Amino acid sequence: MTERPTRTLPDTLPAARTDVRTGQAGVRLSRRVLTALAAVSILGAAGCAGAEAEPPAPEAPTGEGASQEAAPAESTTEAGSAPDTGAAAGQAYEDGTYTETGSYQSPAGPEEVGVTITLEADVVTAVEVEPMPDNPTTTMYQERFAGGISDAIVGKKLDELAVDKVAGSSLTSGGFNEATGKIKSEAQL
Amino acid sequence: MTDSFSFEAIGTRWRVDTGAPLVAEQRADVLRLAEEYDALYSRFREDSGVSALAASGGFLPLPAHGADLGRLLRTLHDVTGGGVSPLVGERLAALGYDAAYSFVPTAGPEPSRTWDGLLTWTDDGVALGAPALLDVGAAGKGQLVDLMLEYLVAAGHSDVIVDASGDMRRAATGTITIGLEHPYDASSAIGTVDLGSAALCASASNRRVWGDGLHHVLDARTGRCVDTVVATWVLADDAMTADGLCTALFVADPADLARVFDFDYVLVYSDGRARTSAALQGALFT
Repeated sequence: MTERPTRTLPDTLPAARTDVRTGQAGVRLSRRVLTALAAVSILGAAGCAGAEAEPPAPEAPTGEGASQEAAPAESTTEAGSAPDTGAAAGQAYEDGTYTETGSYQSPAGPEEVGVTITLEADVVTAVEVEPMPDNPTTTMYQERFAGGISDAIVGKKLDELAVDKVAGSSLTSGGFNEATGKIKSEAQL
Repeated sequence: MTDSFSFEAIGTRWRVDTGAPLVAEQRADVLRLAEEYDALYSRFREDSGVSALAASGGFLPLPAHGADLGRLLRTLHDVTGGGVSPLVGERLAALGYDAAYSFVPTAGPEPSRTWDGLLTWTDDGVALGAPALLDVGAAGKGQLVDLMLEYLVAAGHSDVIVDASGDMRRAATGTITIGLEHPYDASSAIGTVDLGSAALCASASNRRVWGDGLHHVLDARTGRCVDTVVATWVLADDAMTADGLCTALFVADPADLARVFDFDYVLVYSDGRARTSAALQGALFT
């Protein structure tokens, strides 16, 4: 339930490419898009919280960003301004780190999550999710379950580790072990 | 640690380490705590309190700590939807984990009998409407760890570790490092955690195994052995709670338990994946 949203982001980003070629407006737009995507990805990941997704629809933007978002064709014609961004030719996004806030509906009410995405050469190289809820109960859940499911466990030999004690099951239940040991020896031919 | 005291109690190996010498009287008292606990709750001895309940039902008076155990077991029972229940005792025995360690199943898996209507756990003791074999193994060992540690702290020790073969509680400054034993390889660890003044308990299903798929962790709702989770570790303030949560993590989602209890955990699924609370995310080797 806590899988990182990295998997969904790259799939969806290219759709927005032509929208953001240049300048501040472009960055701003990408932020909006990323925010929407991030919100959705988090919802997908946190489905156990009973959250309902706000649609990531490209809602009608307001202000000066509007023309950029509403008229992507326009920006594609202004290739000449691309060098201003310092990006490599053909690169759709400016490299950098983008932080935005996504919101979702939890059982305790609307909650917010901070999302930081690092872009390098149009590739999302890092995603960090930071819980920042108002509700103390949610704070606890989010902190505890920002933790997650790891890949397969990795063992290291105990004699190569500096530990004071070991917690496991091999030493527990002497009576049980004694009994099974007895059975093994009795069962031996 | 300047003094160390090792002994066998309730079927397992114990070790008590103290910064100050553990005098003879205190050693005797620690052993007495274990004996009294065993005499109440062991289902492996005929003269115990729970054996009397299993034979004829009725009422078993309990000391003050019995109320704490009863409250915890009831809470675990409720938050796991009945997955944790002391009434699992007779199902364990029927599957062969009985007082004689026969390891011969006498019945197939069945749900435990339901708590309400049969079992009443009050502040004074346990009452059974009909004979039933209780098993407090879910949290009993942890509570005995607590009783010993609290006794030693009350006796003036400020640097104590009580370790019941991996279920432990510490009262001291600083921290020690505990290796989390690999569930499939006892010579390895899958990570480490730091233990300050708190408890760490561990449970794994793959050691006490006596037949094809039969082991000591049952889901009381089905009577079947749990096979998706193979090992759990819990950090909590006291060992009784940590022990009980180790059991509960086999049959309940950590998020459900976190609504009621304050704890951190590591659990390993049978396919080798692990899951942790956020605070223990860095505990596992990668």
